[in-house]
Amino acid sequence: MTRVDLLAPILACVALATASLAQGAPMAEHAERGRAAGIDVVTYRTAVHDVVDIVGYLPAGDALAGTGNPAVPTLLGMMLDHGTRAQDQFTIARELEEVGAEVGFSVGVQSLQFEAKCLTRDLQLVLSILAAELRTPALQPAEFAKVKLQLTGMLENQRRSTDARAREALRRALFPPGHPNRPATLDELLAGTRSATLKDLQAFHAKFYGPEHMTIVLVGDVTQEVATAGIASNFSGWSGGQDFLRTAPEAYPPAAATVTVPLPEKTSVSVLLGETTGMVYRDPDSLALRLGTVIAGRGFTGRLMANVRDKQGLTYDIGAVVSDDSLVDGLWYVDASFSPKLLERGLAATRSTLQTWWQDGVTDRELADTKQGLIGGYYVGLATNQGLARAIVTTLQRGLDLSWLDQYPQLLRAVTRDQVNAAIRRHVDLSKLTLVEAGTVPAAATEPSP
Amino acid sequence: MKSRLKYAVLLGLPGWLMIAGPAAADSPAPPSPAVPVPGYSFIQAQDGISEYRLDANGLTVLVAPDHSAPVVTFQVTYRVGSRNEVTGTTGATHILEHMMFKGSEAYNEEKGNSLKRYGERVGAQFNASTSLDRTNYFATLGRDDLEGYVAVEADRMRHLLLRDADRQAEMTVVRNEYERGRNSPENVLFEEVQAAAFEALPYHHPTIGWLSDIEHVPTAKLREFYDTFYWPDNSTVTIAGDVDVAAVLALVRRYYGVYPHSPAPIPQIYTEEPVQQGPRRLTVSLPGELGAVLIAHKLPNGLAPDQPAIEVLDAVLASGKSSRLYHALVDSGLALAADADTGLHRDASLHTLFAQLAPGATHAEVEAALLAELDKVKSGGVTDAELARVKQQYVAANAYRRDGTSAIVGELNAWIAIGDWTQYVTFPRRIAAVTPADVQRVARQYFDAAQSTTGWYVPPAAPAEEHAK
Repeated sequence: MTRVDLLAPILACVALATASLAQGAPMAEHAERGRAAGIDVVTYRTAVHDVVDIVGYLPAGDALAGTGNPAVPTLLGMMLDHGTRAQDQFTIARELEEVGAEVGFSVGVQSLQFEAKCLTRDLQLVLSILAAELRTPALQPAEFAKVKLQLTGMLENQRRSTDARAREALRRALFPPGHPNRPATLDELLAGTRSATLKDLQAFHAKFYGPEHMTIVLVGDVTQEVATAGIASNFSGWSGGQDFLRTAPEAYPPAAATVTVPLPEKTSVSVLLGETTGMVYRDPDSLALRLGTVIAGRGFTGRLMANVRDKQGLTYDIGAVVSDDSLVDGLWYVDASFSPKLLERGLAATRSTLQTWWQDGVTDRELADTKQGLIGGYYVGLATNQGLARAIVTTLQRGLDLSWLDQYPQLLRAVTRDQVNAAIRRHVDLSKLTLVEAGTVPAAATEPSP
Repeated sequence: MKSRLKYAVLLGLPGWLMIAGPAAADSPAPPSPAVPVPGYSFIQAQDGISEYRLDANGLTVLVAPDHSAPVVTFQVTYRVGSRNEVTGTTGATHILEHMMFKGSEAYNEEKGNSLKRYGERVGAQFNASTSLDRTNYFATLGRDDLEGYVAVEADRMRHLLLRDADRQAEMTVVRNEYERGRNSPENVLFEEVQAAAFEALPYHHPTIGWLSDIEHVPTAKLREFYDTFYWPDNSTVTIAGDVDVAAVLALVRRYYGVYPHSPAPIPQIYTEEPVQQGPRRLTVSLPGELGAVLIAHKLPNGLAPDQPAIEVLDAVLASGKSSRLYHALVDSGLALAADADTGLHRDASLHTLFAQLAPGATHAEVEAALLAELDKVKSGGVTDAELARVKQQYVAANAYRRDGTSAIVGELNAWIAIGDWTQYVTFPRRIAAVTPADVQRVARQYFDAAQSTTGWYVPPAAPAEEHAK
């Protein structure tokens, strides 16, 4: 029995999180970055003994389907753990389970993302499986039929999800065809799932899967030498890959609109109220708008929660965010849920709160507290391997250098109240918001608000 | 709410590391040395977690130092949950949890120093939750911000404002939380199966309560709950992170030591669930696309000796692609997902087999497939290889889950609720000792069809003959 062998190294592990954070060393200096087999490789060694967290991505998300079958990127992502040309899925699963390692894939708007965890001593095994699954998925007809059935079921279930339907409706209302942030409809995805062939998947794989724009971040008990050697040996000889979509057609001009997605017998209505920002994360106004948005709608003390929930008791949850702007222009929106019978009052309270926020701006006290809170929360979030790995990945996907991880708190501190209020007024036009209501919506609430 | 034992095992404190050593399953860890602290009685220590009792009022304090990052998680667990409610007050524990954020005498919105304001200003990750057996309040924050948080948290233990106007505004908030939950047919299915499975125990009603009780429970009843259960001797404070044991205990004493013991004994539950007299079935019909099947069996409480074997059974059935349910239901195209899980609770536990139907599959064939896998374990047991595999998965997952003080404290909370935090340390050892014969025995002993409650979620479009009979 190998249990004791597996556990022995863990005994040495008492420390938990990032030693360098504890000591206050610059993160960018602690991280090591290089290339192996054409892949961008970042390692960050922490005080955690014997465990490695891996997070990586390559540009192969849904938007990369372009005008082709919109279901293909997700179908291919789902097929990755259904066997390789050398091993079937159950052999791979057994190899991973026997050492307690985990490997998973997910398909997002622009990225195929993967996450893995293993003991340091099993890193080579995990990298070899990861490489085989990415490079040489089996793409067998029998497994493809199962995956198509799975995706069909998942999509069918989304049909009745008020949240999912609202998300789809808002983005389709704001972004034109060809924009990466415009999703396919459920019906288009279902039709695409039905019609997709293995040849479609093979063609997508050949075009988009490759090392050229791929990044792997390893955090934990691992050195750059070990990581690059392992990646080089498992990924060498692989080529190709495409960059992310970094340009996009102009978003629809902001205009007040109401989109209702009627779903019967729902006890809560999902509401989104938003517009495009015309900005990517790296835009000079981005941080200021984010600070202003946090003051409007994040956490328990954001103005929306304080007024619409705490004071008026109209919702369980309401917030505001700037989103989907890592690579192309994104959107700003309020996200809430209301009982059908409180929907009108809820919307009125939301609009009124936003109006005050827009008109009067944020206060010095709010800005100071928000900066302090964001900086504190940033460090708390980095105190885990997984949190650190994800922060590095997000930074790189936004096209920022690793030094940004250290600069972020300083950049936040430097933003002034005038900059925040100017950014709010420049990028949020409350008279031109698109309202989406998904659920059992009373007739009176479907009219466009003034 | 489900208290997933799987997570209890997956998450780890230094405590479970003891199973890693040679002959780990046989040799308990040597006790950690006691650190004498003024004002406290030392109770015990296991693998780096020390338990103290505050002499002034009986408050239990657990401390798990970890100096690898300048971060601390602080939690107070009140041993009151929806099991302490009766008709007319269902959901009261949860509403009270919401009211705990409405301000205390010294810290409130009017003074500009509420817990929310403090927590967000220092970047804390903070919240609260209510379940069948407990209510907990927690925050993860920078080490240097801990005292400010403890001051606010301690004040609301006995000085909550609990104003009727706040309750009225919060009622609709809670009602929307209820409504959001009812948007999911699978949630409704689980609640209805649980309600059918438990007739006498308060586990019959959902933690969030029945809608009419949420809407009408008077503030006076909430005050009664608060004054009955929110006392130091009905609570456990847990601290994990970058702290010095003596210093943090002194801090806790400074803020919690001002309170007396509860003036009356904390009421105990004496209700027992009667023996079930045959299988129970129900159908949930709500708009949707794909159906689901849920089969529940009542089990002994979370501390019962057989729980580790049942946990291993669940892992053999449903953990990973090598599991039996994955092969029989997901890979075969009958289900989108299938799971076996045990919600461990203080009075009785509830085991569930769940499957979400794949397009084209019928409820009857999915139910039959779930039960067939259980029957195979009853008749043929599990293999040594399966047992070794799931034990490996547990210990490795434990290592991964040590990634953060918040997770550590959250799992301690689950065991505190069930009644013995040391299970956090000892349960993995008990898992390691499970044999194939144990797994087969528990499958035969507890999974009797006559003791089952089966629910089908049937979207209206599904064929009529499929409805549960």
